[in-house]
Order: sequence, then C-alpha cells, then structure tokens
Amino acid sequence: MRFALAVLLGRVIRFVGKFIGRSTTLPGRLALRLDPDFLRKMKFDGKVLAVTGSNGKTTTQNLIAHILRENGYSVINNTEGSNLSAGVATTLLEHCTLGGRIKSDFVVLEVDERFTPIVFSQIPLDIFLVNNLLRDQVVRNGNPDIVLEKIAEAAPHAGTLVLNADDPISLQLADGRQPGTVVTFGMARTPHSTDSCQHLTHDAKVCPKCFGKMEYDFFHYNHIGSFHCPKCGYHTPAPDFLAEGVDFESGDFTIDGAPAHVDYMTAFYFMNFTAATAVCATAGVPLEAAIRAGESFTVSRVRYDEFDVDGRRAILMLTKQNPVSLDQNIDYVITQPGPKTVALYVNNVLYTEDKDISWLYDVSFERLVGRVDHVVCSGGRAYDLAVRLELAGFDPERLIIEADNAKLREAMRRSTGTIYVLAASAFGDEDGILEVLK
Amino acid sequence: MAELKILHLYGDLLDLYGDYTNVTAVKQAAEKLGHTVTIDYAGLDEAIDPAGHQLVYIGHGKAKNLAAAAPHFRQYGDAIARAVEGGTVFFVTGNARLLFGQAFETPGGGSESGIGLFRYGGIETGRVYTGDVVSRPVFDEGLVTYGFVNRTGHLTGENEYPLFRVLKGPGDGPEPDGTEGTLYKNFFGTWQMGPLLVRNPGLLRELLSRMTGEDCSGLALPLAEKALELTLAEFGELVR
Repeated sequence: MRFALAVLLGRVIRFVGKFIGRSTTLPGRLALRLDPDFLRKMKFDGKVLAVTGSNGKTTTQNLIAHILRENGYSVINNTEGSNLSAGVATTLLEHCTLGGRIKSDFVVLEVDERFTPIVFSQIPLDIFLVNNLLRDQVVRNGNPDIVLEKIAEAAPHAGTLVLNADDPISLQLADGRQPGTVVTFGMARTPHSTDSCQHLTHDAKVCPKCFGKMEYDFFHYNHIGSFHCPKCGYHTPAPDFLAEGVDFESGDFTIDGAPAHVDYMTAFYFMNFTAATAVCATAGVPLEAAIRAGESFTVSRVRYDEFDVDGRRAILMLTKQNPVSLDQNIDYVITQPGPKTVALYVNNVLYTEDKDISWLYDVSFERLVGRVDHVVCSGGRAYDLAVRLELAGFDPERLIIEADNAKLREAMRRSTGTIYVLAASAFGDEDGILEVLK
Repeated sequence: MAELKILHLYGDLLDLYGDYTNVTAVKQAAEKLGHTVTIDYAGLDEAIDPAGHQLVYIGHGKAKNLAAAAPHFRQYGDAIARAVEGGTVFFVTGNARLLFGQAFETPGGGSESGIGLFRYGGIETGRVYTGDVVSRPVFDEGLVTYGFVNRTGHLTGENEYPLFRVLKGPGDGPEPDGTEGTLYKNFFGTWQMGPLLVRNPGLLRELLSRMTGEDCSGLALPLAEKALELTLAEFGELVR
C-alpha cells in the first residue's frame, strides 16, 4: 500500500515538476520517504547495468545506453546529477508502471561511488562496470581506499563485474570472485604512453595489496597503466577486451582485433569506449555491432566551450575539484600550438565552503612552466592558487592575480595568446567569470 | 652556509593531499637563505637512520598504508626516539603522528603499536572527518595559522604537549577541546595535512630556525603572507 502510494505520488510530483522546472530528485526523495523499501520493491523485466568510478561515469553510461538502443533494445538511464539514491529512484519512477514494474530491456544507471552499496543492496544488478578509481574531490570522498571499500560492499550483488585491467586500485574488486564473473578491459601501449608517471597524483606507487614498490611497463595517465608488483606478483592481467593500435591522429584502433574508430581522441575516451563495448558484449550484443553503434555516439561537450575575449580565442574547460581532470586539461593545453595564457578559476571546497586547496598540490602545474606565457589566477582562492604556482616554479612576473571577477577582463588584457580557462568549480558557478569574459 | 639534509620517510607509502610539498617548501626556503639541501628517502625496504639529518618528515597516508608502515617503523624506534630527544627537527602530518604514540586501531579491526614516545593512541572510524582549522602555535601566540584536516581517525588518551591553541575547527579527538598537534622539543606533529608549511610562512620560518640554529624570521615570503592574510580575513572577528 505504501509502495503504491509512493509510486503514485512520486509520479504526480514528477509530472508537475516537469512543468514548473523543479528539482530532478524531488519525486525520488518523496517516494523513498513514503516507502523506505521503495527501491527494493521495484520489479525489472530486463537487465540492470551500472557504471561507477572516479572519471568518465556519465560519458560511459550514456555511451552504453546509446549502443544498446542502436541495437534495438529499449533502455532507460539516468543523468548526471541524479546518481544518488533519490536520483535513481526518480529515474525509475518516471519509467515504471503503477505497479512498480520496469518493462525495458535494460536499465543503465550511473551511480555515485559512495551510494553503490545503498542502491545495489536493494535492486538487482546484472553487470557492474567500475571504470577507474583515482583521487576525486577528496574532501567529500576521502582517499581512493575509502571509496574502494564502499564499492566493495556493492560488488557482491553484481552478477558480473567489468573492471579496468590497468587500474591496480579498482582491479582488487576481482579478488575472491567466482570464476567467470569478472570481465576485464584494458589498453595496450599507445603513442602517448610514458615510461614514468607524468602526474603528481599516483595512488599506486606501492602495491595496494602487499605495499611493495610497484613497477610499470608504461603509464596511460596517473596510476593507470600496465603494472606489476615484483614482491607479490599482482599485475595487469591479459584483458578480455583489449584496445590496441590506438592512433590519436585518426581516432582508429582495434578492440580484440575488431576495427573501431572514435572522433574524440583522448586516452580517457579510448578506454571509456573499450569499457562500454565490453559491458555491451557481456550483455549479449555482438562486439562488432557494439563498436559500430558506439562510433555514432556524440560526446557531450557541456564541459567545453569556445568564445572570443577582445578578439582573442578563448576555450573554457570545466572540471570538478578533481586533480586528474585538471591534469588532463593541462595535458591538452601543452599540446596546443602558439602563444597561450591559462586562466585558472578556483573557489572554496564544493559544498562545504572550506578554504582548503590541498587538491591543487596534487595537480601537475609544473608541466605548464615554460610552456605558457601567463597564468591568470582567479576565483575566491586566487592568491592561494598563485602560491601553489610559485612553488611549481613559475616566475611571479608571469602570474596575474585577480580574485575579483569584475576586474577579470582587464586582467586578461595583461596576458597574451589564446586563453584557456580551466575552471574548477561547481558547475554553474563559473557563470560569474563567463559573464565578464564573454 | 649550511648543508642541510632532510629525511623523507615513506614518501611512496604515505602520500596524500600534496603533503610532500612541506618538504619542497623547506627546500626552496632554505636555498633562498643560501643553504644547500639534499633530500634522502627511505621506505619499507630501507633502514631508517635519522642521524645527520636536520629534518625528518613523514606525511599523511591511507589508513591501510600506515598500518603497513608501523612494524617497519618500530624496528627503528630507539634511533628515532633518540633523535627526537636529541633535538632533531621532526615534522609529521596527518595520521603519521600515530607512529610515535601508543597502540592505534587499523582498518578491519586490527591494531598496531607506535614507538611509545607519546602517551596518545588512536582509533579508526572509517568515516571521513574534514574541516578548516585556525589556530595559534604555542611557540608564538602572535601567529595565526590556517590548516585543514581530512582524516578517518582520532587521537585518544592524553596529548601532553599540544602544538596549537585552536580558535576554530577540530582538535585531536572526536570533540574539539581547544588544542591540537604535538610540540615536544623539536618534534612537530599535527592532524593538519597538505601544504601546511607552504601556506603558513610563520611555521616555515620557525622550522627553519630550529633546523639551522639561526634566526630565520627575516625570510621574505610575500605572496604566501598575502594569501594567508586574505584566507584568515575570511574568518572575521575570530582572528583579529
């Protein structure tokens, strides 16, 4: 009875909310309050697939849903920002019958790492992809070990785990699983692979199992790469789905020998694409068909924008307070030709407003030294940012510090070249700087 | 000008939140003063010998990694205690403090012993505690420092030699009691993690003075001073 009421009222709120533009998670919150067992009572005709991990959840989840739809399946999936319990409940509410039945062939859910045990102790989970585990919003999440423990509570509920063979942290989830319930994906050495880690954030300098010194044949980025521990033997396994022959110029590569092509040529995306096809192949889609469908997927560019500042080209790249994402943006900037200025925009810690910026010390700003003409430090923590850059070895003459958004346009005039705005903030927060610059 | 040697312990194992930059800050500042600086590293496969070093540094790490460091660290307990008693400067951030005390809990319900230099022990909660810390160090109550904690454990028992009088933020235990950290001879220990010496020129100068035996209060760090002043101003009346 409570469940029926929760479904009915939740759906009404959802319907009304669409017209008045209210929160995307309110119906789910209400349903969970009316019936705390709401998720447990949902019935699924098809399979439930889930994606979690530090980087690439949204893209990979959307890519999986796209591949399945292109192959003729009915799919429901949630969106970024609704990946906590209430968001998942809202997504299910929108698509269920009044009896709480989900009739689609697949439900594809992106779930915040911390919420995986809560969600998947209540709803069935057929295939569970863990993309990677890297430092991410450490004030909110804690270190990757703490996140791993949360996911480890959810993992036993999954029929099959799909894991990254090149990530020594999240691959530990394979330990103790029944044979045949783990599928791995990985990427062979690429032209961008390096023999030593190029980033400060490296969470597997020691083996996460025995604490011996970890060795790598090569790194893709941060601690993701082909690893082996001489002490206990923990190593990158031969993956079930291997990306090879990656060409960053053309976007061509192969997955298990099958030709594939992407239009968004980053190490991250080649791996996400391989992960998504691994999930879909595990769910029953022939690999070649999964690849073909994935190739028509358009990567969302909401975190990227191009505009003009006083006749100069400006590129906006958004990131959460995540050192790995910011490292990726820096990797991109330093490969771009011509004179350039990097404008960094950093505020207090998201959600808590703490004045900590420790995470900026895990970002390899050192890579920008000698490769950019100026760095503009902006946002509420502009001076702390400048202190970080001074430690990285920047000549103070090349630092332009402006904490006041209103004066940012003027500050930009003192810089030269193409402007790369790297904004680490809550999405939407950057409106202040964009209003001034655009 | 002196030749300064820094010993950075467990740099690969205990490595979170940019803690390593405390060593970078000391090195850069000492070089600015004309000293030469070498940094030695020792991990689980190496012996620890503090002799001949002007600074021993250990940073904050994952709780499991700290548990792995403890048995190794204990093997060198006598030499380490001798160095502390003899006045070698130690700077120890985050949970690495636990290595110097009594028994502390480890993830999964186990326990490890520290080297017993201090009376405090530690508990592990598995939950993440975070918060800004504004405080005055006991060696100069005219100074105000800013730091941040991000930890899953607490100190238990008596902390006999507090380093900070806390104006805002968590202390050593589950509830704030107005003090935080340990200052014993030249041993500095604190839960505050990350780039503490980078962001607090006053602390950095004190450490350098103790390392070199010279007055380093004149060391100019204008950008860091300005950044700290602006950060502290955001706490309003508290620090006036």
